Amino acid sequence: MAGFLATVLICDDEPSLRELIRISLDGPYSFAEADDGEKSLEIARRLRPDVVILDMMMPRLSGLEVLSEIRGDGELAETPVIVLTAQPSTKDEALRGGADIVMVKPFEPEEITAAVEEVLAGRR
Amino acid sequence: MSQRAGNGAMPDGRSSATGGAGKLRPDGGLLARIALSAIVVGAGLAIVFAVLFLAVVSLRHRSVEARNSQQVIATANRVQTLVIDLETGVRGFVITHDERYLAPWREAQKQYPATIATLLRLTTDNALQHRRAVSIRDAVDTYLTTYSRPLVNFMRRNPSAAPTVVTSGQGRQQVETIRQGFDRFLNTERLLSESRNDRARATAQHAMVIGGLGLGAALLLISVGALYLHRAIARPLRLTADTAARIAGGDFSGRLPTGGPGEVGELERAFNTMAASLERTVADLEERNKALVESEEGKTELVSNVSHELRTPLASILGFSSLMLEREVPPDEMQRYLEVIRTEARRLAALLNDLLDLQRVEQRTLELRLDELDLNDLLATQVTLYSAQSDDHELHFSPSSEPLLVRGDRDRLAQVIGNLFSNAIKYSPEGGRVEISAELAGTDALVLINDSGLGIPPDHQDRIFTKFFRGDVGRERGIPGTGLGLVLARQIAEAHGGEVGFDSEEGVGSTFWVRLPAALPGGDRLAAGDDANVSHRM
Repeated sequence: MAGFLATVLICDDEPSLRELIRISLDGPYSFAEADDGEKSLEIARRLRPDVVILDMMMPRLSGLEVLSEIRGDGELAETPVIVLTAQPSTKDEALRGGADIVMVKPFEPEEITAAVEEVLAGRR
Repeated sequence: MSQRAGNGAMPDGRSSATGGAGKLRPDGGLLARIALSAIVVGAGLAIVFAVLFLAVVSLRHRSVEARNSQQVIATANRVQTLVIDLETGVRGFVITHDERYLAPWREAQKQYPATIATLLRLTTDNALQHRRAVSIRDAVDTYLTTYSRPLVNFMRRNPSAAPTVVTSGQGRQQVETIRQGFDRFLNTERLLSESRNDRARATAQHAMVIGGLGLGAALLLISVGALYLHRAIARPLRLTADTAARIAGGDFSGRLPTGGPGEVGELERAFNTMAASLERTVADLEERNKALVESEEGKTELVSNVSHELRTPLASILGFSSLMLEREVPPDEMQRYLEVIRTEARRLAALLNDLLDLQRVEQRTLELRLDELDLNDLLATQVTLYSAQSDDHELHFSPSSEPLLVRGDRDRLAQVIGNLFSNAIKYSPEGGRVEISAELAGTDALVLINDSGLGIPPDHQDRIFTKFFRGDVGRERGIPGTGLGLVLARQIAEAHGGEVGFDSEEGVGSTFWVRLPAALPGGDRLAAGDDANVSHRM
């Protein structure tokens, strides 16, 4: 575990939430951030992160659309995606769209940490 | 008949079938029309029956004439038989001297006067035959008085006289004359009888033809009357029933052709009025139901939106407070976390305020603290505030040259302007310039907020001031909002005696405007009347 550096892409249009996630994931991670759907996809394709944390409601491209693009992209298809939503009713939709984990806002810092560790462990 | 009925069924056939009655009383009631048609049919039938009656009377007359001839012939034959009885009786007595031969002679003399009287009476209507009957009577009387009776008396007195006297000359001659009279009389009467029979037969045929024609005419009249009633009453009623059934089935567009006679016309017009009223009511109800459903959908959407809008700041508040409680956080970081928590808590408060404001506006309990204020100042403050919220947007403000005074609630007007700024920024996701200008337009202060963002699709333009309505684009792109901002902005502006409107083109951008009544410095609102008074005083 020590010395491993995983790249986490945080996609949310709320700056405070990006900050919260960044601070919560107090571990061997490097971060990239995007505040809308298009940037999320562009950075994901460029950086090929180890984990994507994706908000459902974002400008330009919704989280679901970004997820669909990721799952349809040969190089990114296997990337773990954690979806954040403020609408509990959209949870199933996100899971069907290929999300590994769906978290409903608000959540505890420990929950997001555990989720990232879980998907990374599953990947390895 | 079927041809007539076929013509009558055409729309313009009405006048041809009922034109006479219609022209007489074009606006007559149904009762008058029915009475009139009954009178027409009745009169027609009366004429038909009168003609039939005359034909029957004529037939009876001909029959009586024909029967009369038969009687005349029978009576004449009877008289002739009596004359023969007289002749043969005399002849038998003269030859045999036997008194028994005189029995028919006496009997014939007894019957003769009544019989000849009958014949004379029967021929009174025919002068020629009557004269002949009279001459027969005279001839028989002459025969009886000058020959028959004297001969019988002579023979009784001279039983030995030779029968040659009897058979010679005079008597025979007289009988022959009588016989010839009878021949002429009977021949004429037979001819007369035949001709009368012929006439009776012809009259009977005529009567049958007239009867047939009369029957046909009566049927025709009754059919025309029935057709008129059918067209005037039965058909409109049938159509009314059918249309009523269609309306009952849910098709409220059905209407009756008007112009029926009298009460039928009234029924048609009343029916159409009722149908139109029903159609309006149903449309109204459907509209209200739709509004109710939309309102319900709006509420459901509100709950969902409110949930989202609450959860996002809550996520920051919960997250950062948990971090501070559970981890070692440097003091400067802690300060930062607390600021985030406060900002998000304010955001929550603002959302709740929006909801409460809306409730107040809806219950008309919104209180305005009216102060005189310069819109230029208010706008400048809001521009500074909202410019700080987005790096991608440039808010450019052109204030009016003079102070733009209005009387209003500063916080509420700031809310109106803030909501419109917020929308201009949110619905220009690519960033860009937002042009804001203020000016005095007549007696109004006018604020224009122009963005070059997404614009409003035409089918959304009449709904954006509906509570909780959020455009598809807003939701698809995850643009946050409760669907209350524009509703509140408009309601608050209207509470100030102003209005909010917009002009938008999808894909090009939107210009929202706020119009508020302008106020004079230190005085009342500037209104058209006040303005005139002021200039008048000066």
